[in-house]
Amino acid sequence: MSNFDFSELKVLICDDSLQIRALIKQCLMAFGIQNIVDAMDAKTGFQELVDTDPDLVITDWEMPTGNGIDFVQHIRRSPDSPNPYVPIIMLTGYTELDRVKIARDNGVSSFLAKPVSAVSLYRRLVSLVEDQRLFVRSDSFFGPDRRFKVSETLEGPDRRV
Amino acid sequence: MSKASIIKPDRQLGDKVGKTGGPTPEQAILRALNATENLSEAYQGWAVDDLQDLWRAFQESASDEGAEVRKMFNIAHEVRGQGGSFGFPLITSISDSLCKVLEPRTSLTRRDMEVIRIHILAMKAVFHQGLKGDSGNAGKVGHELPQLLAALRKRSGA
Repeated sequence: MSNFDFSELKVLICDDSLQIRALIKQCLMAFGIQNIVDAMDAKTGFQELVDTDPDLVITDWEMPTGNGIDFVQHIRRSPDSPNPYVPIIMLTGYTELDRVKIARDNGVSSFLAKPVSAVSLYRRLVSLVEDQRLFVRSDSFFGPDRRFKVSETLEGPDRRV
Repeated sequence: MSKASIIKPDRQLGDKVGKTGGPTPEQAILRALNATENLSEAYQGWAVDDLQDLWRAFQESASDEGAEVRKMFNIAHEVRGQGGSFGFPLITSISDSLCKVLEPRTSLTRRDMEVIRIHILAMKAVFHQGLKGDSGNAGKVGHELPQLLAALRKRSGA
């Protein structure tokens, strides 16, 4: 594996848990990413997205005001979105197949199951760096091509619960 | 049938990431583990609040079942995600089992209540005994725990 230099990346973390935000932030900083903004809900998250135009969004699914899927839809479809193609990692304790399909059908780029570990976060970051997927726009869908490595989100050592 | 268009994004994440010049993957992960060690210590303090909320919801579930069952599930689900993230995989195992008990239920029998009570007490014991990580005593407990929890859930039919 390459010695990736992530230092130029800007990342937005959106999670209502202060602890999880702190954990992800510390991990990303250890990977070399210094430019990190965070938000505790989808509304604040979208404002941070508009203000900072990040290269990557990591969002929780369940948040008290506006869930992660609504947030993803807003990022992908709103005319105010600075980059509708931004890679989005959905962070969730729900790893059931139905949930994965819902997330994928709403334009999520990748899944990261809780509990989060430094290893799983690093691997997910690298997989997105190497992701050359095209986007598909139709009447009913806008997001990364869904025919790509769907099984990767469900199998392997990262699936812990 | 609607037409779909294929679009190549102007910006890719890889455009801003050099393939050299950064830490090795092993270095990056080791740094992250070291950096999050202090959060793992602090987590025990935060988790006390979650367990207190869980215990309160458990006690109140006798009088207001439906709402409190949902509340207990939400707390247990949150704890499930956090435990392992902060170095307490046993907490994730126990709260995962508790989620399995609570998720299909809208009301609770006396036997359910006993099963839930044991789950909460088990989580308290993990923190009280400092059973962190997946080796040593925590590893031994972790090895036997899934079977014990499954047997416990069976008592409430979950």
